[in-house]
Amino acid sequence: MNRVLTLADVGVTYGRGATAFAALQGINLDIASGEMTLLLGPSGSGKTSLLQVMGCLLRASCGSVQLFGQALARDVGAEAMAALRLAHIGFVFQHYNLFPTLKAWENVAVALDIKQVPRAQQREQALALLARLGLADRAGHYPSELSGGQKQRVAIARALAGAPRILLADEPTAALDGKTGQGVAAALHELAHREGVAVVVVSHDPRVEPFGDRVLHLEDGRLVDDSRPSRSSA
Amino acid sequence: MTEAAERVSGTSLLAWRNLSHDRARFVVTLVGVLFAVLLMGVELGLLLGFARTTSGLVDHTTADLWITPAGTTNVDIAGRLDERRRFEAMSVPGVAQVDRLMMQFAFWRKPDGGTESVSMVGFNLANGQGAPWNLVKGSIADLQQDDAVIIDTLYARKLGVTALGQTVEINNRRARVVGFTQGIRTFTQSPYVFTIHRNAQNFTFFRPDETTYLLVKLRPGADVEATRLALQARLGRVDVWRAADFAAQAQRYWLVTTGAGSALLLAALLGLVVGIVIVGQTLYATTVDRLPEYATLRAMGAPNRYLYAVILKQAAISAVFGFAGGMLMVWLVMLASAGSTVAVAMPPGLIGVLALLTAGMCALGALVSIRRVMRIDPTSVFQ
Repeated sequence: MNRVLTLADVGVTYGRGATAFAALQGINLDIASGEMTLLLGPSGSGKTSLLQVMGCLLRASCGSVQLFGQALARDVGAEAMAALRLAHIGFVFQHYNLFPTLKAWENVAVALDIKQVPRAQQREQALALLARLGLADRAGHYPSELSGGQKQRVAIARALAGAPRILLADEPTAALDGKTGQGVAAALHELAHREGVAVVVVSHDPRVEPFGDRVLHLEDGRLVDDSRPSRSSA
Repeated sequence: MTEAAERVSGTSLLAWRNLSHDRARFVVTLVGVLFAVLLMGVELGLLLGFARTTSGLVDHTTADLWITPAGTTNVDIAGRLDERRRFEAMSVPGVAQVDRLMMQFAFWRKPDGGTESVSMVGFNLANGQGAPWNLVKGSIADLQQDDAVIIDTLYARKLGVTALGQTVEINNRRARVVGFTQGIRTFTQSPYVFTIHRNAQNFTFFRPDETTYLLVKLRPGADVEATRLALQARLGRVDVWRAADFAAQAQRYWLVTTGAGSALLLAALLGLVVGIVIVGQTLYATTVDRLPEYATLRAMGAPNRYLYAVILKQAAISAVFGFAGGMLMVWLVMLASAGSTVAVAMPPGLIGVLALLTAGMCALGALVSIRRVMRIDPTSVFQ
């Protein structure tokens, strides 16, 4: 397993002066490829902020972030951050964030389009990704015609477009029923193990916990526990 | 649509679907662009039509130079020139031929009573400089008769004329209509009445040695500007114009000094502003509705230009459809005005200008949306 992301003494502070609020403090962390890391903690513990820092969506106020061994400059611009996300990181959101006016395959194809995959290959690749997630027969449907689980799997397929090395998921099972949620968690676990993707999942959902290779606990913006469960359901 | 979706880029697909999935708003955008194009097209078409009308007589001669009474500002209103000026002009090197052209207001008494003001145009039948064009009935050769005139069908009703051969009075002298042209308009609303030079002199009480303009044709290879200056120096108190300059002066006089052109330009500008506001408002509303989607694109790593492309393509789609609809309406207006005394001109160049204005209008309308998307925070996808 390779280290893909390293956070050293990372902190994130919102606001200034008397109204300043430290969302993250002194985070030291390595994320490796080929495993699924769960990020747990109560509301307001800093899970989302940490996910945003790992996802190059938010600059750390202090400390250093290394992506594939390369340190991110403190003053890295928004376009450069976007380019890093595009090259290395896929996102899965709690509410899917699919484009409602596009069909399932088109949602995936847009991600490929942003990555400048040749147009002639976009449909083929999008259909292949959907097929991998068991959605071959739903490719031509709009999001409004899909179930919650199907939408989330389309979102995962979209996140995998262009083969990112890191997949960050924010409460991916929160809007899904029990069985569907487990199916999505299993799919993410499989991605980590079969394809060597570094998967980080923020979740409150106990159904997801058995799939985690590693569990991080956050409280009040600090990493209070970093453990590897003795058994994984993988 | 699947096959089409395979061929277009992601930004084009998103742009089209964003618009087509909110049809009511798309229709409002299109109507806004359509009316802006209609307003700009008709006003600019009228402006060009008027411009062509004001210089029509000059444009339809083949003269290289025009000699006019000093201080002449347009072709419709001018003083008198003495015949000897013609001979003086002919003595200038480079001059091949000098023709007389009469232009004078006169009173036209209709067959059933009532009087209209007309502009008598008297030309040299032998050379045809200043002769009517687009003759649809009768013959120019018939103008050799002392009382013969030719008028335009657009003004026949106004002048009380229903058929060839009908007689009227011009300045209390008997006149007979021997021909009709079609589409020779006048900006002054005093219709052109064509006849030969001698008849025009008679109708308007000019002396036989008087005329209004002298039209100069140069020898092949003669330097136009040098000859113009030589004529100016030789003839003294007259104005010598290149034909194109005199045409431009006539257009300037009627369209600029009378304020008619400004009014038309202002109306066209109003159309442009209305279009920018409507496109801007509806595109902005669409953009605000879809901000979470733009934030998602940004979170996925889309560069800003990708987001701008979606918005600009929405504007471009609105421009193309609105322009097509607007031009169709302009064409209908042109058809309706073809038989009227007011011309809406729409040459390919003006269509190109309108297309550019429409594109610019929609691009400007998209700027507000682009400014909004520039400020988008990709972390908002987690809220």
